[in-house]
Amino acid sequence: MGTINSALSLMTQALDSDQAALNVTSNNVANASTTGYTEETPTWQENSSVVISGISYGQGATMTGATSQRDTVLQERLNQQQQLASASSTRLTALDSVQAVFTPSSGTSTTTGDIGTDLTSFFSSFSSLESSPTSNSLREKVLSSASTLASDVSSAASSLESQRSALDQEASGVVSQVNALTTSIAQLNQQIQATGTSTDNSLEDQRQNDLAKLSTLVGVNQVSTGNDGMQITTTSGQLLVSGDSSYQLTTGMSGGVTHIYSGTTDITSGLASGGGQLGGYLTARDTDIPNTLSSLDQLAYSVSTQVNTLNNAGTDQAGDTSNAGDIFSAPTQVSGSALSMSVVMTDPDHIAAASSTAGTGDNSNAIAMAALASQTIVSGQTPTNYYSDFVSTLGSTVSNVETENTAQTASVTQLQTQVDSISAVNLNDEASSLTTMERSYQAAAQVFSTLNTLMAQAINIGTETTVS
Amino acid sequence: MRVDPNYNSVLAASLNSVQDTEEQLTSELSSGVSVSSLSDNPAAVGENVILLNTIQQDDTFTQSSSLVTGQLQVADSTLGSVVTQLTQAISLATSANNGTMNSSDVKSISTQLSGILDEVQSLANTSYQGQYIFAGAQSSTAPFSTSSSTSPAVTTYNGDSNINYLVTPGGDKIQLNVPGSSLFTGSGTNNVFSALNSLIADYSSGTVDTTQAVTDTEALGTALNYVSQQRVVIDDSINQITSASDSATSNETQLTATQTNLMQADVATISTRLSLAETQQSALESVIAQLGSASNSLFSKLPS
Repeated sequence: MGTINSALSLMTQALDSDQAALNVTSNNVANASTTGYTEETPTWQENSSVVISGISYGQGATMTGATSQRDTVLQERLNQQQQLASASSTRLTALDSVQAVFTPSSGTSTTTGDIGTDLTSFFSSFSSLESSPTSNSLREKVLSSASTLASDVSSAASSLESQRSALDQEASGVVSQVNALTTSIAQLNQQIQATGTSTDNSLEDQRQNDLAKLSTLVGVNQVSTGNDGMQITTTSGQLLVSGDSSYQLTTGMSGGVTHIYSGTTDITSGLASGGGQLGGYLTARDTDIPNTLSSLDQLAYSVSTQVNTLNNAGTDQAGDTSNAGDIFSAPTQVSGSALSMSVVMTDPDHIAAASSTAGTGDNSNAIAMAALASQTIVSGQTPTNYYSDFVSTLGSTVSNVETENTAQTASVTQLQTQVDSISAVNLNDEASSLTTMERSYQAAAQVFSTLNTLMAQAINIGTETTVS
Repeated sequence: MRVDPNYNSVLAASLNSVQDTEEQLTSELSSGVSVSSLSDNPAAVGENVILLNTIQQDDTFTQSSSLVTGQLQVADSTLGSVVTQLTQAISLATSANNGTMNSSDVKSISTQLSGILDEVQSLANTSYQGQYIFAGAQSSTAPFSTSSSTSPAVTTYNGDSNINYLVTPGGDKIQLNVPGSSLFTGSGTNNVFSALNSLIADYSSGTVDTTQAVTDTEALGTALNYVSQQRVVIDDSINQITSASDSATSNETQLTATQTNLMQADVATISTRLSLAETQQSALESVIAQLGSASNSLFSKLPS
């Protein structure tokens, strides 16, 4: 049978529960700006009713705990998209530095360091030499424009090399951050499993936060295992975290760059295509910069070799036939040609403007060297067309990555909005629940007070004295 | 329906993006260049390389043209003097051949012809900027020398028959020189020096073998015509170079305009876009200020 006593105890419980719920709201407000915090809502549970003499009496409600408002599937989608976006953003930053080496020339005479202009000047200096093949000043001009070309090509290559080694160091840095995060996630796995299922929301918040950070660094797949455990692998399948164990990535030098190992397996190429900052760094380091360098190498190799060959086939100012020497240092192989491109000729008299069968006043070899500019000597293209294609291709690559990154970033923003709409603390909601809980508490207190009066009346039944 | 309470951060990102656009547009306006990196317009930067290449080739050709035109003009005027000298030599020889002169007059003609020979040889050894222009590729040594050890004396050509060309941007070759062997010591009766030397020998004794002297005079006439013909080659070259240089200059002007259009900023378009971006920025700022104010929070409505 329901009694005033039981009603009083029911209200006591209600007051306790309301307080607990107010605590949840306060916690939400306090953590409104905390990174990784997930909004919590109090969970109410109706107490089991009691049946006495066939009549069911409700036993009030209990606040059983706070539930974090999270959608793990949505969160995972955000993480996946974040991996792609941070890969492309990292790669874009690297590519921006790469393309800065090849700033387009805006005019005919103003830009220094433009390889396209240098190429034209170099071959044009032979055209000029045609007009007066014995002129010392025109010969000097050939050597000086050759030096400019060689030094610009070589400094571009050297700049690319140093960018590459900077990326290499960045990648190594990311690996140690990844290791720290996987260690942390493994520990959190252990704690979450030890404290039981979802009792401590803050641990799960930390784990999700670590996972989000990990997703900006490296491409991963997550698999939820039983008992709130989590298994994390790289996108190429190498285990990073399994339960309470984390598997550290190690680095080692191979072929002049840092390679990344899981155990003894080299997983560098898998990580490069996997996403995250690491993917971006590795793609720029192992694909973009080497491609750019190899194009420059091809240009430097072909120009140096062809010009040297022709110079050695002519007659120089001193009358030396077929023995004039090299203008550029002779490259032995295509790879590395750009970096080592330099002018070895010091005496302009050794420029062989005349053909091997003619006197020193002849200009037919100068014509032949000037004609190299319009011959398909670099990978089936003229030097200028080759360079033109090269800058267009590089520009397109950067532009494509830019577009890709814009799209991915927009998608991340969209997913983040969706995640926030579920998980972020909405202060208006909190103000509203605060009011609700306050009213609920007031009501419970009021009911308690009324019951208290009723109880007093019951105690005082039949007496004239009042109980206070 | 739940909403993202962090809309302000999205708005702030939009604001950043608008400011970024403004910065880019301002920099385009101030530098006057719309393509400052390869990715701004990959197709344009590729075309730019080719355009600049062609422009510079045209420019180089124009400069080379003025250099070689000087040399060709020297050659032309030198040959003009040669023709004058030879014409005088023929008239001297003709007057000697008409049989009315006494021995000393004939000898005097011989002496005058020797003078003309020296003059013609000196003209044939003309140099331009230290290079002998009628020596073929042997331009560092004087091409003609005369040995008087025999009679008639013999003038030897020490140059070669090399011809230099200047290649136009279009790939055409323009002849830059006529070797002395073609001009002055051609085969048969086209040899100026041989004809002159023979005439000098004809008149040196004071008695004239008229038949021989007339033959030799005719030979000099033929040689003179030949020199005039060869001079036309040089005149042709001067004309070709002038016209090629004019065409290179006009081509360069056109291409420079194209290149400017390609790479330079269009002030009107950029200004419009800049003004649009500024409007957007102030709109965003108002929205952020409005939404971000404390009075929009439900907390502000709670009784304090």
